[in-house]
Amino acid sequence: MSYELKDIVLHVENLSVAYGDKVIIRNINFIERDVTRPNMTQGQTIAVLGRSGRGKSTLFRALTGLVKPSTGKVLIPDYTQPTKDGMQPAKIVEEGDVGFVDQKYTLFRHKTVSDAFMFALRNTDLSGKDKTEKVKLYLHEWGLEKVKDQYPNELSGGQRQRVAIIEQLLSSGHYMVLDEPFSGLDVGNIMNVRKSFDLIDEGHDLNTVIFSTHDIELACELADSIYIVGYPKKEDGTLDSIGTIVSHFDLKSMGIAWKSEFTTEHLDLVKEIKACMLAS
Amino acid sequence: MNFKLWVRPFESLGKRDSMAIAGFWILLVAIYWIIATSGEKKLFPSPDQVWHGFVALYNEGLVVHIGSSLWLCLQATLISIVFSLLIAYAYPIPLLRPLSKTMSQLRYLPLTGITFYLTILVNNARTMQVWVLVIFMSLYFITSLMAVIKDIAQEEIDHARSLKCSRWEILWQVIIKGRADYVIDVLRQNLAITWMMLVTVESILIAAGGLGVLIKNSDKFMNHGRILALQIVILLVGLGIDLALTTIRKSVFRYSKFN
Repeated sequence: MSYELKDIVLHVENLSVAYGDKVIIRNINFIERDVTRPNMTQGQTIAVLGRSGRGKSTLFRALTGLVKPSTGKVLIPDYTQPTKDGMQPAKIVEEGDVGFVDQKYTLFRHKTVSDAFMFALRNTDLSGKDKTEKVKLYLHEWGLEKVKDQYPNELSGGQRQRVAIIEQLLSSGHYMVLDEPFSGLDVGNIMNVRKSFDLIDEGHDLNTVIFSTHDIELACELADSIYIVGYPKKEDGTLDSIGTIVSHFDLKSMGIAWKSEFTTEHLDLVKEIKACMLAS
Repeated sequence: MNFKLWVRPFESLGKRDSMAIAGFWILLVAIYWIIATSGEKKLFPSPDQVWHGFVALYNEGLVVHIGSSLWLCLQATLISIVFSLLIAYAYPIPLLRPLSKTMSQLRYLPLTGITFYLTILVNNARTMQVWVLVIFMSLYFITSLMAVIKDIAQEEIDHARSLKCSRWEILWQVIIKGRADYVIDVLRQNLAITWMMLVTVESILIAAGGLGVLIKNSDKFMNHGRILALQIVILLVGLGIDLALTTIRKSVFRYSKFN
């Protein structure tokens, strides 16, 4: 499938995070670029895999600005600034720049679906009428019209997931980090989240979804780029105890991204990823 | 009705069975009461004595006394809620956290010590009653409200942060607005303690009346029928307040599904 890589949409540079004296992740570097495909809107879907306790959640908290890095930085394009020499100026990620959905799909318990969406739009420049129209559009597109006046505890699991995702889309724009969005979901709800990913992808070229999962097959099906977070091997052959990116798989260049079916190439990749995770 | 299920551990019963069990216990207590008070020597006053006690109390203005007690409780509750909320909401602010913690720990201070200072500061007996209750209630309210705040999951704070909420907005949205229904429940739980305190506090000012005064007077004359009648009235009024608060919480806050 033909595609083109354009501007940088995410640049993580020498990122380390420590809680007190305990360093959780160290020396994380990666760059993701805007992917374009002919005659279609294509966002970026990035999966982060790794064994438990390797620092995936900490990496996500740093990517969303919820935790301050000990060293390094997370940069995204600053679309509020005009381009300089054909390049979009970058900005350091701050709280709220990147949407964050945790595995419990946390919502404000005292806000109805409509109220939550309006709240997510409160800082935008849109007029009251435009905000209402935008909320109506999302409610329609994501099939939530019937539950617009319901509170989170009155929603089904699938509806709750969609609300949590839309809320972040409305508030933060193009970036969305989802920490284990498939954890504990039944097959129907997994399909719902997959559909949500498609809707985000088709929404805008710059839309970028970063998610973690323990389901390697699912990650290979959904993502166009996969990072493995693990403990690197030290010189003496033993494992370090600080997480970092130990491997990267670019499914675009491998020719297996955006396939509608799970192929033997995907299966080979799953085996390779498993081996990589077990070794780190 | 399957009576075997009534004695089976962890069995969930239907509404009809549950009502039947409740009825069975009420009947059992009533029968025991009648039998236990039918002889010459008796531990409790008989139902007849209690009924006469109740009629006498009603003729002496029981309703007015209930109104007086409720009014005292309402005054103290309103002041206490405002004060306790301010102190509890200060808990997330690092500078004010020691204040909230200390206020909560003060619940171990005996009331006698506090009333000593109150008598110096307040010279009106009714005000004294209100403030004794306010102090007593507040220390427990603050502790319970702080527990509610501490129980808020980090995910809820992160969720608000990810939606570009400032720290003050988080306090407003997650803690103040997001837990408004819990305030009513905390009030419901702690009001039971306050309601029990009423007898002691109302004895400060006999002239103001109230259920506490009635029970104290009845106690003085060893009128057990009246005492038990009063205790039943106090229990029923307390349960009524409990029910009213739960109903208010569930009807005002549709999202409030606990209990």
